[in-house]
Order: sequence, then C-alpha cells, then structure tokens
Amino acid sequence: MSRIVARHGWTLGLLAILVLLFAFTKVIQPNFGPTGLDSLSRATLPFAFATAAMAIVVIAGGIDLSVASMMAVAGVTTAVMMDGAGTGMTLFTVVAVLVIGLGMGAINGALIVVTRVPDIVVTLAMLFVWEGVALLILKAPGGAATPWLREIIVGPFLVPWLPKSFVFLVVCLAVVWIPLRRSRLGLSIYAIGSDELAAYRSGIAIGRTRIIAYALCGLFAAMGGLTLTMSTGNGEPIPGPYLMASVAAVVLGGVVLGGGKGALLGPIIAVFILRLVRMDLTLMSVDPNVTTIVEGTIMVVVVMIGGVLAMRGRRQ
Amino acid sequence: MKRHLTTTAALALMATGLGSAAFAEAHGGYTIGISNTVQGNGWREEMVCAMKAQALVSGQVDSLNIAHRNTDAAGQLEDIRNLIQAGVDAIVINPSNADGVNAAIEEAIAAGIVVVAVDQAVTAEGAYILSNNQEEYAYLGASWLFEELGGSGSVVYMRGAAGAGADNDRDAGFQRALAEHPGIEVVHEVFTGWQQDQGKQQILDYLSTGLPVDGVWTSGIDNVIVDAFIESDVPLVPIVGADNAGFVGQLASVEGFTGAAVTNPGSIGGAGVTLALQILGGEMPASNTVLVDPSIWANNDPEGIALIEAAQNPNLDPEWPVSVMIPGWTTYSMDEIIACAGPGE
Repeated sequence: MSRIVARHGWTLGLLAILVLLFAFTKVIQPNFGPTGLDSLSRATLPFAFATAAMAIVVIAGGIDLSVASMMAVAGVTTAVMMDGAGTGMTLFTVVAVLVIGLGMGAINGALIVVTRVPDIVVTLAMLFVWEGVALLILKAPGGAATPWLREIIVGPFLVPWLPKSFVFLVVCLAVVWIPLRRSRLGLSIYAIGSDELAAYRSGIAIGRTRIIAYALCGLFAAMGGLTLTMSTGNGEPIPGPYLMASVAAVVLGGVVLGGGKGALLGPIIAVFILRLVRMDLTLMSVDPNVTTIVEGTIMVVVVMIGGVLAMRGRRQ
Repeated sequence: MKRHLTTTAALALMATGLGSAAFAEAHGGYTIGISNTVQGNGWREEMVCAMKAQALVSGQVDSLNIAHRNTDAAGQLEDIRNLIQAGVDAIVINPSNADGVNAAIEEAIAAGIVVVAVDQAVTAEGAYILSNNQEEYAYLGASWLFEELGGSGSVVYMRGAAGAGADNDRDAGFQRALAEHPGIEVVHEVFTGWQQDQGKQQILDYLSTGLPVDGVWTSGIDNVIVDAFIESDVPLVPIVGADNAGFVGQLASVEGFTGAAVTNPGSIGGAGVTLALQILGGEMPASNTVLVDPSIWANNDPEGIALIEAAQNPNLDPEWPVSVMIPGWTTYSMDEIIACAGPGE
C-alpha cells in the first residue's frame, strides 16, 4: 500500500485536488450535475489530447512546440474532407487524419534526429510550417463535420453522470498508451528520456525511438484536431491556445521536463483540474483579467510544493 | 502520505478560495453572461467596457459574468457552457466564427437563455444578431482609396488575422472594390494579426525596400502606419484606417496627410446588452438580424472633416474606436464607458 502511495503520490494528490474542486463547485453552484460534467468533459477533450501529445515527447526527453499547429492541420483536414461526406468517407477521413498526424510527428522527429538541431528549435520552426499548411488547406473557418460523428461526444453514456466524451477520451488514450507502456518500445521511450547514453549502451536505437515518440505525439495531436472539429462542427486554421496549456498540464501532472519520469494519468487529471478551475472562476464571475493570474498562480504553487516535497523525500 | 494529502487539500482550498470575495451575492434582477475571445485589443476592450457601462446604466442587471480571454471556437464553446452552468439569463457573445459555436448557443437557447451575437454573425437558429457589416467596411474604405489614387497605382494591403471570419469578410469587400478598379495593383499583402507592433514592423520593412507605394489600406492597425511613414521620412500617401482615436487624431493634425477612417463601433457590445434586455423584457425585435452599416470620414471633404473634428477626444485610449456610443442603442455617458465599470464594481 505505502509503496503504491509513494510511487503515485503526485497523481493521488492531484486526484484529491480534483475531488475537492468538484465539491467546491457543487457548493458554489448547487445545480451542478450531469450537464455540468458533460460540459466540463467536452471542454477537456482538445486539451487532454494536446497534453497527451506533449507528455509523450517530454517523457522521451524532448519537447514539441508544434502541437497546437499540428492540431490545426488535423482539424482543418477533417473539416474539408468531411464536408458533405457519407459514412464511408467519414471513416476514411478519421483514419487518414490519424495517419497524417503520425506523419507530421514523424517529420518533426526525423528532422531532429537527422539534422541534430535542438528539438526546441526544430519544433518552433515546424510550428510556423504546420500553421502555414493549415492556412493553405483552409484560409478561414469552414468545412463541416459529419453529424453522427459529432454525436459521439455529446450526452451521457449508460448512466447520467458519465459523459460520452469522457469515455471517448479514455478509450482513445488507452488504445495507444496501455499497449505502448507494456511494450519494449514504451520502455525505450522512458530510457532515452532518462539517460540517453545508458539507453544507447543497452542497445536501444535512439534515433528510431525518438522519431516514434514524435510520431505518437503527432497521432495524439491529430486526435485533438479531430475532437476540435467534432465539437465546433468546422475547421479553424488558426491554432488554439493548446501549446502552453499542454506544457502546463504536463508539468502539473508530474512529468519531469528533463524526461524519463511521469505518465499519462497525472497530466490528464491536471487538465481536468485546470478546466474545472476555469469553470469555477466563471461561475463566481471573477474579473476575467484576474482569472489568468489565478490559473498561473495555481500552477506555480502546485509545482513549487511538488518540488519541495520531492526534495524532502530525497533527504529522508 | 498524510502530510501529502493535507498539503494538497490546503492548496486546493487556497486556490479555490482566491476568487470567492468576488463571488456575486445572489439577488433579483438579471444576470448577463459575456463571451469574447480576443483580449488586449483596443476594439474588443471598448466592446467589453460598453457592455459593462450599458449593463450598469440600464439598472436591470445585477451582475455580469464575463468570459474574456484569447481562445478559439472550442474555448468559446467551453465559456458559453460555463455561462449556462452559471445560470445566466442572457449571453452576449462576439463569436469566434459563424458556425463553430452554434452547438453551445443552441444548448443555451434550449435552456431558455437569450443569446445575442454582436460584431459578427452566427448561423444558429434562434440567436439574435447585432453585427457590423464587415464586407461593406472594407469596400467603403478601399473604394475611397482607389478613387483618391485616380484609379491607378500601387497599394499595400494590410489585412487583419489570417483565417479570422471578419478578415475573410473584409477581404471579400476589398476584392470587390479592386475588381472595379483594374488600374490598381496590390504590391504587397500582409497579415498584421490586428497587432500594432507587428503591423508597424511590416510597413517599416516594406518602406525600407524603397519599392513604390501610392496608398495603404489597413484593417484597423492604422495610427502606427502613419507613424512609420513619418519616422522613415517617406512622403505620406493616402491611408485608410478605422475610427480609432489615435488615427482620427492624425487625420485632424498631421500636416499633408490625406486619409479616411471607416467606422466600426466597438460600442456594438453595449447595443447587444440593450437588445438582450429588450428581449428579456418581452420586447421582440422585428428581425433576428440587425446590421450596422459603416460610414466613412475622409479628411479631404468638409463633411468628413466636421465628423473628425467632432470626434476628437484626448481622454480616449488611442486604440479605442471614437464611436463610443450608438444612438438609440446605448445610454451611458462618455465618462461611464471610460470608467469601464459594470454592475457591482
């Protein structure tokens, strides 16, 4: 028991914050119920996928600044291909967009591995490249999403308090993450993030592993782009505020920015916390210029306390 | 472990307690929600202040619930849904795009909330629209500029934000005017992103090339363009801008400068609040859509000069549109909108 707590202390702490926040929400808005949960869950979707995308490259010891731009490319591609599409074309579009996401991520990764230019520089450049690509595909908000696909993330699943969008999120993340975590590849991703030289000496193909990590980042970003188009019903070429939000959630979620440590659960809980804080601030009608300060402060304070706890843990 | 949990609990309480002082006490009257997705832009700030001032002077609004941040359509969906959760009576939004937030608007209408979209239109059924005519805005200014150049010359086209709905509509108007003046050539086209610093840098870069420029059309990033010409010591050419206080001041005071301001009132936000209150009071408008047409104030015709002179106001932020009131729609005073205080503030 205590071992589990020690290993997952950070995640459990986040979960406790989330539960307290839910309780607080119920206090300030007694009507908060299934529709509120549904709203919250739908709002988290793009952030959650962006965060998963960022988490995987950060675990591999890198960073990808082009996450939001890749989401924009995926979003507009979805909107353009699905405009007036039937069932067959819709399914094809979903697969195609996921493949495009993998491709974009792989290009990012390959550029980093082949050119040996630092990841932060390459992905910063690619941020603009993908942004331009999105604008080439669609120069203003437009296109459409197939109605039945949009319905997948609307309303409750089986019981009133379980939003379909939450089930959708869990399934999409689990399908990629669980097999990966249990595979040799997953271990390699952690290994190159933790200590590249040691990983190399253990016979891990560093370059290939890194490219795959970035490709998976692209895949999650594509899922994020898909959910953007599913929730808005059209594609928007200008990237949304997902880059900074994903870095914030990753850090808040207990993934170490140097790589090698962390998982997906913590960051996803962090996404829910950040969205719920936003909802509570709206419910309390806090001055909008203050809300961003509050959000930032919470993030710094949580990470700071985490740092202090980690330091104490090491000393003991 | 225990310490772990107590720390996190204390933290969560502290974090959530921060805003409770501002937590509005529940009492009678209306609560109005506001959703806006561009923060830190003079036009949008004026819009929000107009909403606050109008809500205050109406005497019918107990509290405003403002979601005002930089985000996309998905973020606006979240904000509108949060406002539904907050139980507001009406929501006034400046939509991020025409179709992207329909899902949440429809949910709001289904929950019995009055939704008014200002500045840009939405396609959701049952929503009320009070919008500036963006296509006409660009057509009016571009036509004036092309006429001013005698139908031929090199024009720099400084657009808004790539991919934004309003920019797209304005482009349609600009292209319409361009098609009517085949002698005009667009020698340089850039997106300012509606950012002052970016627009200024772009025109400085262009001016330093020494390439020809006979006129500049801007999408409202205007006074810095005039500054750039003066600073670069390049003879001023006709420039079209919006009715922002700084630019309107230049139209009146910069010697040898010919230009025109096209009105695009940010105070449409206040008008939106008025419309929402009318509907809540059972007073339905004749049509779901009310379009506000722009007008043009050129400093080379007497009528324009009179309007420009009348609009001079040193108290206004230079990035704010000078048309701070819309007759028949807003009832606040100049001081009240500049104070930018809503009910309970």
